[in-house]
Amino acid sequence: MNSSTAERDALYDRLIVERARKPLHAGRLDAPDVQGEGRNPLCGDKTHLDIALNGHHIQDIRHQTRGCAICSAAADLMAERLRGETVTQALQVADRFKALLVEPSSSAVVEKSHQVPLGALEVFAPLRSHKARIRCAELPWVALEEAFSHVDG
Amino acid sequence: MATHTAKSPAASQLDVQAIRAQFPILAEKVHDRPLVFLDSAASAQKPNAVIDSMANTMRHQYANIHRGLHWMSERTTEAYEGVRDLVAGFLNAPSREEIVFTRNSTEAINLVAHSFGALLRPGQAVLISQMEHHANLVPWQMLRDRAGIELRIAPITDDGDLDMEAYKAFLADGKVGLVAITHMSNVLGTITPASQIAEVAHAAGALVLFDGSQAVVHHKTDVQALDADFYTFTGHKLYGPTGIGVLWARRALLEQMPPFLGGGDMISTVTFERSTWANIPHKFEAGTPAIVETMGLGAAIEWVSQVGFDAIAAHEAALTAHALQRLATVPGLKIVGNPRMRGGVVSFTMEDVHPHDIATLLDRNGIAIRAGHHCAEPLMRRLGLSATARASFGIYTQKEEIDVLADTLVRIRDFFV
Ligand SMILES: Cc1ncc(COP(=O)(O)O)c(C=O)c1O
Repeated sequence: MNSSTAERDALYDRLIVERARKPLHAGRLDAPDVQGEGRNPLCGDKTHLDIALNGHHIQDIRHQTRGCAICSAAADLMAERLRGETVTQALQVADRFKALLVEPSSSAVVEKSHQVPLGALEVFAPLRSHKARIRCAELPWVALEEAFSHVDG
Repeated sequence: MATHTAKSPAASQLDVQAIRAQFPILAEKVHDRPLVFLDSAASAQKPNAVIDSMANTMRHQYANIHRGLHWMSERTTEAYEGVRDLVAGFLNAPSREEIVFTRNSTEAINLVAHSFGALLRPGQAVLISQMEHHANLVPWQMLRDRAGIELRIAPITDDGDLDMEAYKAFLADGKVGLVAITHMSNVLGTITPASQIAEVAHAAGALVLFDGSQAVVHHKTDVQALDADFYTFTGHKLYGPTGIGVLWARRALLEQMPPFLGGGDMISTVTFERSTWANIPHKFEAGTPAIVETMGLGAAIEWVSQVGFDAIAAHEAALTAHALQRLATVPGLKIVGNPRMRGGVVSFTMEDVHPHDIATLLDRNGIAIRAGHHCAEPLMRRLGLSATARASFGIYTQKEEIDVLADTLVRIRDFFV
């Protein structure tokens, strides 16, 4: 075998590998206003989220993730993308991210929330063709929804 | 029945290329690469002998069985019952009536939990081990919750062997009615000392069931030599089709046990008030069975027997030894378990690389392995892991494929570190 798809696999963007290895937003907050947890019973992966709110704004957000590279990087890039957003905006990003993971044509959500930019989270687009791994990237967002389930936007 | 037969091997050498030529799927490409299939422990690929036998059944000799008075039905019944003889021979069962066809191993174990479970009394216990597949755990939990049967779990050692001292201790109070233990672990590859397990169980007044789902594939099985009371296996891991499995049990037990499912074929007489049961094994085979799949299982058993278990065991032992040695050279790789006897299954973890990432990246290179908890969550917890990657080998596995696996793992690790 001379060349390997592994190294140049579109799914594992360099950014994903880097964030999985050295997350920039990992850890816990001393006094989080809300918390959430996502667990995947199929593989034992787990994300815990601590969020500090300032009014409706996400002032700080930290994650503690035990999981694969996809899950770990998704949590880290999610935290990065959502810091400073309002709760409502954060949930719009969540919708937009979920739409990114399914076929673009099949979702009306894409149109509706198209104005919400995903930024670096776009690196997860190739997951569309790895159905078995979509849950890995969704896990931190499950934790986010749990954290916000008691907050009115 | 089998139109394609394996070359009969000189001594116990196996001609892997001749074997591979009989598995059409091995010529397929995955992501433009040759398929390297190292997931036979989950389900094995099928040789032409099996594929053709099933297709020929549907083309030339098919009707419902045990019901028709016509020629087609009689011939199909004969062929179907012929497979029962083959299975009895395959397990060296004392009689063909002790072979019950089920959907898979899971259903066979559920049958025992339901029907033998009905003979157990509250206060009695079932003893399993820490390395059971969910198929040999959940049915016993259900029995426990339904019938007040205690469920005991015998521990394993850090190497992944059954802890025989602890096992004996669990039997000491004489309350255990049944020991149900795997004959080979699907995660650790451990081949358990079945005859010793049976001897100890019998001395304590317990019967013993072996989950042979993994074991029957790798070596010759002899339920009489093991002194087992129940034995189960599943067709699809034995190069046969899905949808067909086997329960073997001693005649006296099957005769005592109440039926599992009710319906056609399992009765002797039926009135609106009551029914009487058919003789064994039919008492346990309600409804139209998996006729075509049973023919496929028969073809698989004939085919495997023709290759011969001496050759298969030698081939797989060589592959496993090679894999253990090659994988040990991959930086950061840790092999899970170090059992005294191991079949063709190797689980591993890699520092800094999650098993799911390993599996996805191997797949991009055409290499199929399994990653996850392998339907053995409590075992994972015992090992302090949430998941492992697992490579498993079969009759068609080549040494070179293990080299490709090891080389690719080195690159995957480089990619992540
Ligand atoms: C050890 C063991 N027991 C039981 C099973 C269950 O087999 P099946 O799913 O065919 O019933 C398997 C395979 O999945 C297994 O590896």
